[in-house]
Amino acid sequence: MNTIKGLLTKDLYVFRNFKSNIIFSIFMFIFLITVGSIRREIFTFGSILFLIFFGMNSISSFSYDENADSDKYLLSLPITRKEIVLSKYLFVFLNSFVSLIIGIFISFVITILVRGKIDNLGDSLRICLIAFTSVSFLMCANVPCIYKWGVEKGRMQSVVIPALFIFLLGIFGSLLLLLFPGFYLNIDLLYLFKISPYICLTLNILIYVISYLISYKIFLNKTI
Amino acid sequence: MAYNLEVINLTKNYQDFQLKKINIRLPKGKIIGLIGENGSGKTTTIKAILNLMTYDKGNIKIFDKDSRDLTKIDREHIGVVLDDSFFSPILNVNDINKLMKNFYHNWNEKLYYDTIKKFKIPCNKPLKEFSSGMKMKIKVLCAIAHEPKLLILDEPTNGLDPIFRYEIIELFNNFVSNGENSILMTTHITSDLEHLADEVIFIDDGNIILDVSKEKIDNEYGIVELLEDNFIKIKKEDYLKCLKYKNECYILVNPKHDFQKKYSKLKIRKPTLEELMLLLVKGE
Repeated sequence: MNTIKGLLTKDLYVFRNFKSNIIFSIFMFIFLITVGSIRREIFTFGSILFLIFFGMNSISSFSYDENADSDKYLLSLPITRKEIVLSKYLFVFLNSFVSLIIGIFISFVITILVRGKIDNLGDSLRICLIAFTSVSFLMCANVPCIYKWGVEKGRMQSVVIPALFIFLLGIFGSLLLLLFPGFYLNIDLLYLFKISPYICLTLNILIYVISYLISYKIFLNKTI
Repeated sequence: MAYNLEVINLTKNYQDFQLKKINIRLPKGKIIGLIGENGSGKTTTIKAILNLMTYDKGNIKIFDKDSRDLTKIDREHIGVVLDDSFFSPILNVNDINKLMKNFYHNWNEKLYYDTIKKFKIPCNKPLKEFSSGMKMKIKVLCAIAHEPKLLILDEPTNGLDPIFRYEIIELFNNFVSNGENSILMTTHITSDLEHLADEVIFIDDGNIILDVSKEKIDNEYGIVELLEDNFIKIKKEDYLKCLKYKNECYILVNPKHDFQKKYSKLKIRKPTLEELMLLLVKGE
């Protein structure tokens, strides 16, 4: 456990390097949400914006490690490959999750201060959770690509792979309609939205576990 | 004899390079220097020892255990310096101390900070602002501050000034003085090994071309410098290698006493490790 704590601390130190940028961005964010909230309620938009802006910063830690060739050194210490990969996933998750919480908190406070109330808070939180799952999907597509091809090439691949996934899903849907013209999927979208927190939770666990297993397998067979 | 490290017939095949049956036996209390040209296979050997890559044949034992079966506790007894790899340069000395405390149970914070003070290393400056010599000092310090039994060092004197090289040689000599600890180090600066190594292994193109104790080099090997006109009088079977430079010839002889008996008028001197390496690799 201490090893994981050490590895997480190492990644956290990366943020210290652009501390002033983060503080400036938070102030800019607060200003924009405050101004935006005067005309209409933007609680959901604000929370998601914060999540997207800060929740994907964890990739920088891969970049810093790659530049210093740190993995080689870390593996010469009493640290296993499993711990290195696990700590990265924890870092990615914690960074997105904390960004979501801070985003929601700041947007909530501003909205209450400016507008006095939030309409449909439950629905807004559900949408935030769906956005969080989308970010998880993107990040979890990104990490195995980084382990496979390195940060620069991996970033490109991580755009290609989700796009390919969505494209294939589209092809599958089109084929389904072509082959079975009468096909109709009876989905109650409102019900789905209602139970979305459970779906999001399940999806997040699945996405992270599958991605972790893929990354670990790649890293295990990698010559450092 | 008890060994801290044993490399037995280590073989690794790449498309354009082959590491061929490397054998290293590092007894307790001894220092072995692994020397050779760039790309000769030194770092590949170190990587195999540290399990950073797989190998095709052979066996590596550390503390009498297969290196692939070492537990985390076993690995706490190894200290490593890698020439091209360390923590991110945005970290400072204090950050590294905090991290290392999490990685090693017996991380000696006092030893770490005492040596930092002795080396006059600033604590709050990020590594990126240090000279390469200063960074190497921290790397060496990180390798010894958890009081390991085995040090594996890849080019640990790279970028260091002569004064610190002297200090570090003293540090390494003290490290093995208890008779239990050992060091395996690769280096280009062969002069460092003159005062440090008990045994020297020359590696060339993935092969060990010479594995010899420093004592044997001093007592049995010799260098003879002579003009090309005199060289033709020396029989081929009386020397090991010859290197011609301008109109002079340098010949490597072993055993030097036999050579001296035959050619009593020629002057033989002790070879430096650099000369030995040069003659073994480039000599004819």
